Amino acid sequence: MKRLGNQLFFTGPTMIFFSIALLIPFVYGFYLTLMKMATPVSPMEYAGVENYLRAIRDNKFWDSMWLTIKYVGATIVLVNVTGFALAYLVTSGLRKQNFFRTAFFTPNLIGGLVLGYIWQFIFVRSLPTLGEKLGVELFRLGWLGDANLAFWALVIVTVWQSAGYMMIIFIAGLISIPRDVIEASTIDGANSWQRLTRMTIPLMVPAFVITVFLSLKNAFMVYDLNFALTGGGPYDSTKMVSMHVVQKAFIENNYGVGQAEAIILFVIVAVVTGVQVYYSKKMEVSG
Amino acid sequence: MSRKRIMVLLSSAIVLVALLVTVVYYAHSSLEQEGQATLPSGENNKITLEILNPKVEIASQFEQMVNDYMKEHPHVQINVRTVGGGADDRAELRAMFAYGQGPDIFTNGGYEEARLYRDYLEDLSDQPWVQNAIDMALEPMTLDGKVYGMPVNIEGYGFIYNKDLFKQAGIVELPTTLSELTESASRLKSAGITPFANAYAEKWVLGVHLINIAFAHQDNTDEFIRNLSRGTESIEGNPHFLDLLKLLDVTLEYGNDQPLTFDYNAQVSEFAQGKAAMIQQGNWIQPMLDQITSNMNIGMLPIPINDNPGNDALAVGVPNNWVINKKSSEQKKAEAKLFLNWMVSSEQGKMHLVERLKFIPAFHHIQTDSLGPLADDILRYSYENKTLSWNWYTYPDGVSDYEFGPVMQAYIGDQMTAEQVLQQLQTLWETTNEHQTVDE
Repeated sequence: MKRLGNQLFFTGPTMIFFSIALLIPFVYGFYLTLMKMATPVSPMEYAGVENYLRAIRDNKFWDSMWLTIKYVGATIVLVNVTGFALAYLVTSGLRKQNFFRTAFFTPNLIGGLVLGYIWQFIFVRSLPTLGEKLGVELFRLGWLGDANLAFWALVIVTVWQSAGYMMIIFIAGLISIPRDVIEASTIDGANSWQRLTRMTIPLMVPAFVITVFLSLKNAFMVYDLNFALTGGGPYDSTKMVSMHVVQKAFIENNYGVGQAEAIILFVIVAVVTGVQVYYSKKMEVSG
Repeated sequence: MSRKRIMVLLSSAIVLVALLVTVVYYAHSSLEQEGQATLPSGENNKITLEILNPKVEIASQFEQMVNDYMKEHPHVQINVRTVGGGADDRAELRAMFAYGQGPDIFTNGGYEEARLYRDYLEDLSDQPWVQNAIDMALEPMTLDGKVYGMPVNIEGYGFIYNKDLFKQAGIVELPTTLSELTESASRLKSAGITPFANAYAEKWVLGVHLINIAFAHQDNTDEFIRNLSRGTESIEGNPHFLDLLKLLDVTLEYGNDQPLTFDYNAQVSEFAQGKAAMIQQGNWIQPMLDQITSNMNIGMLPIPINDNPGNDALAVGVPNNWVINKKSSEQKKAEAKLFLNWMVSSEQGKMHLVERLKFIPAFHHIQTDSLGPLADDILRYSYENKTLSWNWYTYPDGVSDYEFGPVMQAYIGDQMTAEQVLQQLQTLWETTNEHQTVDE
C-alpha cells in the first residue's frame, strides 16, 4: 500500500499533465470524429464512420499527404546528412569549435513562425535584389512564387533549422565512440574514409535512430513553418497535410472530417515511425 | 507478469480513471454554473468584456478608443484581441467558440454568416442607433425583420491611384472602361512608372475582392448566387468572369515582377513611396498610407472589366458588423450594448470613429469631412448611386479566399487557362456548397 502511494506520488504529476495536454484532447478528438455538427453552435449528432469515409474520399487530403511524404523524404536525408557533417566537422579538432557548435545550434532556438517570416523576407526581398545585383538568374526568381522552388525553399529552411539540433545528438554519439577501436583500425591501416564508413557510422546507429525518428516526425507534422513561409501558396502547391487539416476543420467548418483526417495522419505517422524504430534498432551494434 | 508490474499498471490505471472523472465532473459542473443566471455584482466588481477586433490596421487606434471608454466607465474592463490582415480572424473566432464561450463582442459579415451564427447573436432591434443607420447598411444583419448587428462602417475598394504620377504621365481623363485603363497603364509605363503593384500573394485580394466584381456585374446578383447553389446557373462560360480575367491580364502585363510573392505590406508601402501608380485596395489602407507618407495626392478609380457603361462604379459595402454574443451573461450583454451605442452616439465615440479610426460612418447623424481622399471618392460614388455590391458573405462558407484565391493564383502562375479557371471555380462552388448543405 505504501508502495502504491509512492508510485502515485512520483508518477502522478506526470500523468496529470500528460492527460491534460495529450490524452484527454486525443480522446475528445477521436470522439469528435464520430460526430457531425452543422455550425460551431449546433448540437452534435452521431455520424458513425461517415467522417472517415469523407476523409478518405477527399482528394486534396491525399494530394497534400503525397506532398508531405516528398517533403519528409527530402528533409530526412538532407537534415541528417547535414547534421552529421556538421557534427563531424566540429569534433574534428577545429579551432573555435565550441563557437561553431553554438552558431549551428542557434537556428533551432528560433520558433518556426518567426523563422518562417524571416526567411520569407529573404526569399521575397533579399534574394531577388541580390540576384539582380550579381546577375544570378536562380536568385532573381521569386522562389516562393514558383511551385517547385517554394517546395525547396521549405526544405532549405527546415534543414537550416533542424540540422543544428541533430548535430548535437550526433556529437554525443561521436564522442561516445571508444577511442581504442578507432586507434586499432588506424594501426590496421584503415584510411579516414574507411574509418568513417566502417567504424564510426556503424557505431553511431543509436544516434541515427533518434535523429531519423525526430526528423521523420517533425516533417510529417510541419505546420508553423509552412504557414509562415509559404502559407500553402502559390496556388496551394505547398499545402502540407497539417495545414489542410486545419483548413478543413476551421475554415470550412468541418470539424468532424478535419479531425478524422488528423487521426488518419496520426495512424500513418505512428506506423511509419514505429517501423523505422523497430528495424533500425536491429541494426545497432551491441557494444 | 510479475506482481510489481501488475501493481504499477493497476495504480496508473486508477490514477488515470480518477483524473478523467474529476476533469469531466468539474467541466460539467462549471458549465452548469455558467448556465444559471449570474448574481448581480457589487459596485466594486469590474465587468470584463472581451472583444475580437478583426482589423489589424486599426489595432492601436481602436485600443485608444476603448481606453477612453474605460476612463469614462471605470466599472468596465475591456480586453481587445486583434487578429486580421494576413492572419485569419474568422478561423480564430471558430477556434474560440470551439474551446469556450467565445468573445462577448465580435464581428459578423452578415447574410450567410449571420445565419450560420444566428444562435449566438443577440437581437439588437431595440437599440437607439438602429433609427439612424443608413438602410442599405442594416441589410446584411437583418434576419426575419430583426437587426442582429451594428454596421462597423462602410468601405469601398477599387484601384487606388496616385494623382501626381497620373499627371506626370499626362493622363487627363480618368479611365472608366477597360480600354481606357489599358491606355492609361501603357502611358504610365512609357513615362517610366510602374502602373500596377499587384499583391497577388494575398488570396483575399483575388478570391474576395477581385472575383466579387464579376459577381456584382451579373444582371441580378442575388438570383445568380441562389441559382448557382441550386445548380441551375454556372460560372462556366459566364462572360463577366471571362472579362474579369482579361482585366487581370492587363494588371499582370503592366504590373510588378513576381506578383505571386508580393504581399499586402509590400504593395501598400510600394504605393506609398510613389513607386507604383495604382493598387487594387480599399479605403482601409488610408491610415497605413498616412503613417508612411502623409497627405498623399490620391483617389479611387473603378475596376473596369470591359467597355460597357456600368463599369464606372466602386464596390461599396458594409465589411463587418459588431455583434453581441447571446450566450454571454445578461450583465455583460447590457454593458456590451452600452459600449456599441457609445461608439456611434457619444461625442467621444463619434470623434474616435471618424477622426482616429477613419471609418466612413454607416449612420446619417455622423458628420464627415475629414476622412481623406479615398473616403471622399467613395462617398461621392455612393451619392451618385454608382456602386457595386459586396457578395462574398453570400457564398458558401470559406470558398472565396481559401478556394477561389488559389485558383486565380494558378492562372497567374500560368498553370490554368481562362476556361479551366471558370470550370474550377464552378466545381469548387458545387463541392463546398454540397458539403455545407449535407451538414445542415
